Amino acid sequence: MKTLIYSSVFSLLFLAACSNGSNKTKSTTSEDATVTTAVASGSSEKGTSTAAVLASYLKLKNAFTNDNDKDAAAAGNEMVTAFASFDKKSLTPEQDKAYTDIYDDAKEHAEHIGANVGNIAHQREHFDMLSKDMYDLVKLLGANQSLYVDHCPMYNNNKGAIWLSEVKDIKNPYLGKAMPTCGTVKEELK
Amino acid sequence: MPNDISKIVSVPSDVQGILKKACYDCHSNNTEYPWYANMQPMHWFMNNHIQSGKAELNFSEFGSYTSRRQQSKLRSIENSLKDGSMPLNSYTLIHRNAILTKTEKLLLMNWVQNSKDSLNKKNFN
Repeated sequence: MKTLIYSSVFSLLFLAACSNGSNKTKSTTSEDATVTTAVASGSSEKGTSTAAVLASYLKLKNAFTNDNDKDAAAAGNEMVTAFASFDKKSLTPEQDKAYTDIYDDAKEHAEHIGANVGNIAHQREHFDMLSKDMYDLVKLLGANQSLYVDHCPMYNNNKGAIWLSEVKDIKNPYLGKAMPTCGTVKEELK
Repeated sequence: MPNDISKIVSVPSDVQGILKKACYDCHSNNTEYPWYANMQPMHWFMNNHIQSGKAELNFSEFGSYTSRRQQSKLRSIENSLKDGSMPLNSYTLIHRNAILTKTEKLLLMNWVQNSKDSLNKKNFN
């Protein structure tokens, strides 16, 4: 009985710690919102506003190249806000369907990255999946800027992973400072 | 349960058994509540916890996810098995039989891999 009580108390503490974490994420999103809108109004011209989403993604990517989990989390939260303010009105029904499919998945990855300061390995796992979503999103709606699709052959036990970059030089977000120049440009999106 | 994962991919009975004892309390619509779940604050607390677990991943609703999300979820299951973050320590503290043995872990990993492959095929055809 005693152990049971102890373990209940333990799990209480454990979970209380967890829920604190998610509260923190929520509180930071509001201040990030202003940053995102500034970015959006600066670079997006046409109706499709992938610009804000893309800007936060690139910020996220750059945070990972510097092994910075906190900046990554901030960019992840920024991305959630950017997705929330994305205007679907200009999409055709087919685009809407494809977008929603991508959005459902991508938003969740962004949220997880935002909520996992201190666990950059986990953040990067979500970044891997998020990068595929972003690739599909850019293919679907365009980007208003040229992008490079880079490939890292070593990540995830040599299964490899892709990322999008605004610069031609390889700066690997999966391996970070350990192997910054590992990878190749696979495709150029214009 | 029309959206159960077993309707989407094949779930062998040994895998089903492991999922049931180690995952389903928080990740399905079939939670087996322990006796102390009837007491406050445990009741409130566990419900909270189970709700967030189900929001994250619900094997009973797996079929309602988009195919993209199904893939992501399987990948995340794989990751959390690999790094041992699931089942949660706070859960295995009480549910000792939810601690996965090496064999059980391997079995699940293989199953996840097979499920990913079969879903992939389905989506390309």
